[in-house]
Amino acid sequence: MTSESPNSSRKVVVHLRATGDAPILKQAKFKIAGTDKFAKVIAFLRRQLHRDTLFVYVNSAFSPNPDELVNDLYNNFGFDGKLVVNYACSMAWG
Amino acid sequence: MSATDTGSSRNALCLECDLSALSFSRSFRSMENLSRWDGTISSSEFRIAATTLSEKWKVINPEFPPWTWIDSPKPFWVTSSKVEGYLSLETYSYKFSSDNVDNTQAHRNLIDTLCGYRSSCQKEEPVDFENEEELVDSATLVLNDDDQEELHHYDFHIVYSNSYRVPVLYFRGYRSDGQILTLDEVERDLPANSLKVLRESKWTFITQEGRLSVRVSRSQALEHPLLNRPWYTLHPCGTSEWMKLLFLGGYSQAKDGSSSGSVMQQYLVSWLSVVGQAVGLNVPLEMISDFHRVCTI
Repeated sequence: MTSESPNSSRKVVVHLRATGDAPILKQAKFKIAGTDKFAKVIAFLRRQLHRDTLFVYVNSAFSPNPDELVNDLYNNFGFDGKLVVNYACSMAWG
Repeated sequence: MSATDTGSSRNALCLECDLSALSFSRSFRSMENLSRWDGTISSSEFRIAATTLSEKWKVINPEFPPWTWIDSPKPFWVTSSKVEGYLSLETYSYKFSSDNVDNTQAHRNLIDTLCGYRSSCQKEEPVDFENEEELVDSATLVLNDDDQEELHHYDFHIVYSNSYRVPVLYFRGYRSDGQILTLDEVERDLPANSLKVLRESKWTFITQEGRLSVRVSRSQALEHPLLNRPWYTLHPCGTSEWMKLLFLGGYSQAKDGSSSGSVMQQYLVSWLSVVGQAVGLNVPLEMISDFHRVCTI
């Protein structure tokens, strides 16, 4: 059922969207190799936002395992030529 | 028909066949209401979402043990027609999961990526930042030779919390002879990524007794609310907050304008995509994308 990418070397446009009270990035769209793992997106966000704990999820209310490939995410959740990735900052409870 | 769900015990009995979107539409008549939603669900919505999760899991993840609904024994003095129970996935073994073995390199890469800026990572190779707080990678270092081959089994239960109005994950690990594993032993079994989630996440961590001893007693177990035995649990205090975020962010731009009915049906699948990461239960992408192809209630 996993859709194979016709071209595994393609780049995927990732649109980073702030939710909650997370800061908005100056540049919200960037390209990433489809063969990269979602972990790379998370790491990028953490660096940009200087936050240790982020809540990162894709459209359709799904939080992907960092091991998932960007290609697979794009094939399942991407539309309009891009993969929308939402992020929120950790709330300070606990 | 929509008036029926306050109803009689007969209705409770045929809950299975009456899993219409009606009870959802009560609390989510429109998507506008979703923006005012507090991220919680009712116990009957939990029941419906549980059915969806277990059915999808069976189809998409057949090589894993199934999620099965277990009716909890009702004390004889309770006359309520409310169905009580929980979802159960039992005798799971991380050793069954091939990716746990094959993906050692993948996990290392993941740690590399994640560690790009942090100082408290589990990491064996030198990295270009200070690593003074390095944790011991007990998964490879502390295992005794004699139990290296021993199979550990895990049971997971998803129980509805009436006080938080969200699902709560309970789990325990045990040896083949039935001996319960300590939290240290559990942590040795978990994939590296899960350990990171457990240790760093503010949303999910193991705790003993809910509100009173948050994070203090990670190494102790909480009493399973329905079985009255000690199980580990992931504290639900933040659950409704991140569930709300998950759906608001996730649905405002959904490509097909999915209805609120399917939003609630996939509640548990979405929830498990977050919580499962803390305990190494991976939710296949197809379980969600499937909603948007097939489920258009």
